[in-house]
Amino acid sequence: MFPMNVVVCVKQIPDPAAPQSLEPGTHTLARSGKLIMDDSDAYGVEMALQLADAAGGGEVTLVSMAPGGETSGLRTALAMGAAKAILISDDALKGSDALGTAKVLAAAIKRAEPDLIIAATESSDGYTGTTPVQVAELLGLPSVTFAKSVTVDGQTVKVERQTESGFDEVTSPLPALVTVTAGVVEPRYPSFKGIMAAKSKPVDTLTVADLGLDASTVGAAGAGQEITDVAEAESRSSGEIVVDEGDGAARIVAFLETLKVI
Amino acid sequence: MFEWSEEQLAIRDAVRRFVDEEIRPKLDDLEHGDLPPYDVLRKLYATFGLDQLARDSFKRQLERKTSGAEPPARAGRGEGSNAAMALIPVIEMCKVTPGMVTALGVSTGLAAGTIMKRGTPAQMERWGLDLLTLDKIGSWAITEPNSGSDALGGMRTTAKRDGDAYILNGNKTYITNGPYADTVVLYAKLDDGSDTDIRHRQVLTFVLDRGLEGFEQSAPFRKMGQHSSPTGELFLTDVVVGRDRLLGETEKESGGGGRASAKDNFVSERAGTAAMALGVIEECLALSIAYAKDRVLWGKPIGEFQLIQLKLANMEVARLNVENLVFRHIEMSAAGRSLSLAEASAMKLYAAQAASAVAMDAVQLFGGNGYMAEYRVEQLARDAKVFQIYAGTDEIQVTHIAKDLLSR
Ligand SMILES: Cc1cc2nc3c(=O)[nH]c(=O)nc-3n(C[C@H](O)[C@H](O)[C@H](O)COP(=O)(O)OP(=O)(O)OC[C@H]3O[C@@H](n4cnc5c(N)ncnc54)[C@H](O)[C@@H]3O)c2cc1C
Ligand SMILES: Cc1cc2nc3c(=O)[nH]c(=O)nc-3n(C[C@H](O)[C@H](O)[C@H](O)COP(=O)(O)OP(=O)(O)OC[C@H]3O[C@@H](n4cnc5c(N)ncnc54)[C@H](O)[C@@H]3O)c2cc1C
Repeated sequence: MFPMNVVVCVKQIPDPAAPQSLEPGTHTLARSGKLIMDDSDAYGVEMALQLADAAGGGEVTLVSMAPGGETSGLRTALAMGAAKAILISDDALKGSDALGTAKVLAAAIKRAEPDLIIAATESSDGYTGTTPVQVAELLGLPSVTFAKSVTVDGQTVKVERQTESGFDEVTSPLPALVTVTAGVVEPRYPSFKGIMAAKSKPVDTLTVADLGLDASTVGAAGAGQEITDVAEAESRSSGEIVVDEGDGAARIVAFLETLKVI
Repeated sequence: MFEWSEEQLAIRDAVRRFVDEEIRPKLDDLEHGDLPPYDVLRKLYATFGLDQLARDSFKRQLERKTSGAEPPARAGRGEGSNAAMALIPVIEMCKVTPGMVTALGVSTGLAAGTIMKRGTPAQMERWGLDLLTLDKIGSWAITEPNSGSDALGGMRTTAKRDGDAYILNGNKTYITNGPYADTVVLYAKLDDGSDTDIRHRQVLTFVLDRGLEGFEQSAPFRKMGQHSSPTGELFLTDVVVGRDRLLGETEKESGGGGRASAKDNFVSERAGTAAMALGVIEECLALSIAYAKDRVLWGKPIGEFQLIQLKLANMEVARLNVENLVFRHIEMSAAGRSLSLAEASAMKLYAAQAASAVAMDAVQLFGGNGYMAEYRVEQLARDAKVFQIYAGTDEIQVTHIAKDLLSR
């Protein structure tokens, strides 16, 4: 048995069920209201809890970067059973791109000295899918993406990596970073006791300066990208109505053939 | 309190997810296919750790009873948040299946509650724990074919002393969980051979188990609503019960004496009914707002017609009032106070009438769709109607409120 400390990256995002808007100047998603845990990260949290449990000890620590000192989404993951959280929140992070986010997350993760880092394959709102591997690179750690199964055996992690045609079996030494898909495990419901306990679990809120990062390398100042304009997506053209005049079936078949689906 | 706290909202969201994933897909079987609600309720308990919380609470209650300590007169904030923690699932589940909440409330609230309050430690261990965790299902049986509102006076089920035992005869009706109950808390009139008018004889409380000789449980009744809550009859023919089944193992009011025990429950079940009503009202209002925006007639959404607006406004008034009553109850529990019988009756009377009226208005607002099962408000209207009948009819609430007012 090796007690295992796992860090899970948890992105807190505006509730996808609520109406969304863009900030007028920067064209970025408005993140002023309450943020919730990205559903994609629930799988990582569950995986981490199961791995720590299977290892017979160790802790799950959450790491998140979010504006406004937001902890609502973290409380959800703490209620599921994570022990503590590190939140990086700083006005200087406004306008961060994925690399800037990765720098901040990497600096925070380092402090937790994890054996394993778990993130989602991609977030539900930004979905560049680039942040986790950049975190791994910045920390000089191996990374394995698209995990549909994760097991830890002593000092190595074994991953079934989803591919188009099946899966690869990948083994990596620890510490390492793994991104998980939605199929990896079924996230648990938080128990009522867990929800009540979550409010008193420690959330360490840090600024860019606390992490010892140079403010000019993160946020808008360090961003290598800028959203210059946003345009309405072309609306989908209406479909074609096929009126059956005895040849309906044949015309549908012909149409499906043009799509190469049959 | 004027709104739910962050933690309470987190509990609400978690329960909503459970309702969406575990209850909605089975709703047709529960409401129209005679699927008993108990396995889903047990899953609810296991999912949220409510079975463990029940075990912890059982231990505390048992310790209190064995040490002879009174329950804390002024409970701390913790007890108040417990009231909220219990009511939030009630409200959320009542948005979809009030019947399931009836089944749950009768088993853990009325049946287990009565045993835990008035049973001996041995009786608490024998029946209380399994009921609190839902390992076993309980009924609470007072109503009879010829006595509902007049349950204590008109009761004809008898318990005849026979040495140290009792012989029970009679029948009970409209008993929630009756068809499936493992454990039944049952009220009967003492027959001690004296010629006291049966109206005025002592009422005793017994605990029965499924399968006792001479004890029969009927199949579920067909009824207007609350289909997720099986309701039935109980028949007792010379059922012999030892003193171990007399609550508290004493005929005194502190134990088996049934009048006080029945009245204890009036307050808690009336407060619980108000929370159930809130769930129905919130759901009907949400569905009605969406429909009023969506349904277009004469070229505009029906929400623009003033007669539709009046319905929505009335629903909102009811929602605010009932929510305030529920918040008041939670605050009072937090302060270690309980509602008086008259207060609980007033709360239940208003909430029950409001839920029925709101749900019927929702049916009206939906037009023909409102009458169709697919749109769900017809089920809520049928389910809400019983709030005005069980746990004391509207008319009986009026008598309890008036009695209190006139005695001042
Ligand atoms: C133009 C622009 C402006 C931005 N402005 C801000 C801002 O003002 N304030 C701010 O806080 N962020 C800001 N961000 C950062 C942004 O919200 C994302 O964190 C970052 O770009 C990662 O992008 P993604 O969503 O595509 O992540 P992906 O690479 O798709 O994410 C994959 C996984 O990485 C992890 N992850 C990603 N982001 C985070 C995070 N923030 N915290 C924890 N785990 C994470 C999650 O597990 C996630 O599922 C901005 C980004 C851009 C592009
Ligand atoms: C779905 C359902 C579940 C139930 N579950 C249980 C259960 O688990 N356990 C249990 O013991 N019982 C249960 N009941 C019974 C319920 O408590 C009774 O139906 C209720 O108390 C009314 O009694 P009754 O049906 O005999 O009506 P009655 O008492 O016959 O009332 C008939 C009418 O007379 C009115 N009335 C009565 N007295 C007065 C008065 N003084 N002044 C003016 N009007 C008056 C009533 O309000 C009513 O309108 C349940 C009932 C239902 C419908």
